[in-house]
Amino acid sequence: MTLSDIIHDEPNADTLRRWIEKVPYATYLGIEAEVHGNEILFLLPANKKLIGNPTLPAIHGGVVGAFMEQAAGFYLVAKMDNPVLPKIIDFSLDYLRPSRLRDTFAQCTLTRQGRFIANVSITAWQEQSDKPNAIARAHFLIPERSTDTGIP
Amino acid sequence: MRPLSLCDKEKIINRMSSFIPHTHLQGICLDSIVGEELTLRLPYRKELVGDPETGAIHSGVLTVLLDHTLGTASICCDQIGATITPTLDLRIDHLGVAPAGKDIFAVARVYKVTRRVAFTAGYAYCESREEPIAKATGSWVLMPELQFSEELFSAEAQVQQ
Repeated sequence: MTLSDIIHDEPNADTLRRWIEKVPYATYLGIEAEVHGNEILFLLPANKKLIGNPTLPAIHGGVVGAFMEQAAGFYLVAKMDNPVLPKIIDFSLDYLRPSRLRDTFAQCTLTRQGRFIANVSITAWQEQSDKPNAIARAHFLIPERSTDTGIP
Repeated sequence: MRPLSLCDKEKIINRMSSFIPHTHLQGICLDSIVGEELTLRLPYRKELVGDPETGAIHSGVLTVLLDHTLGTASICCDQIGATITPTLDLRIDHLGVAPAGKDIFAVARVYKVTRRVAFTAGYAYCESREEPIAKATGSWVLMPELQFSEELFSAEAQVQQ
């Protein structure tokens, strides 16, 4: 079974765990997700293999970005009426403070979903949600489903 | 500050890649330095895959590679050299997909330096520089008061264990 086969499943905690398992890099980073009502809280557990600055020590900024981008992708799929796998168009990331070797959290907002394009903003933080480590915005292309066009 | 020689640039870039645990584990290594332009290489690995149906590398991997390459390009910039440069922001346009089994190369160069900020641009490609799979621009904060210390490099052996 591939990710495309299970993206229609009800986006609860178990479904999100199974989505993450289908993406090798998300599994490698160790991403987890909790579902609280309509909200999804993504977690990047602290792990020494993610260190980008051994002196502080801090998690590699690029890894924090990758985590936020993956969170945005899963979040978008969870919010789609007719889920398809979105494709990233561009990603813009502002670093606000170093991410220490601690658990990192991310929450997403679907700012706009049109027919072809979605705009998702992401906030990542560590100890306090009102002190973000990074904020980001991703544009995704929503591929047209071949099944939508071929009505017999 | 005095521009670094090519040999010193290579030495520092190699040490940075191995000193940083994450880039060391990813196997990110120096490909070439031509003047002030830096090219790093990321070897293909299955755990970096984003789409198991095609074997394509995850777009987030490009974020890590481009962040690291654009960030360390400041070492190759003769106006900057070996100083600590935290990332301010990074923007990536995804122009294509990294095909299964192919190493990814990232190229970067600082194109403008002010007293506090380095503006950097770069791109990633797999098979041809003429067909980039991603383009990136970003800003880095210059902290000339924080030079890389000898201590940073002497800790290298300990970190790699």
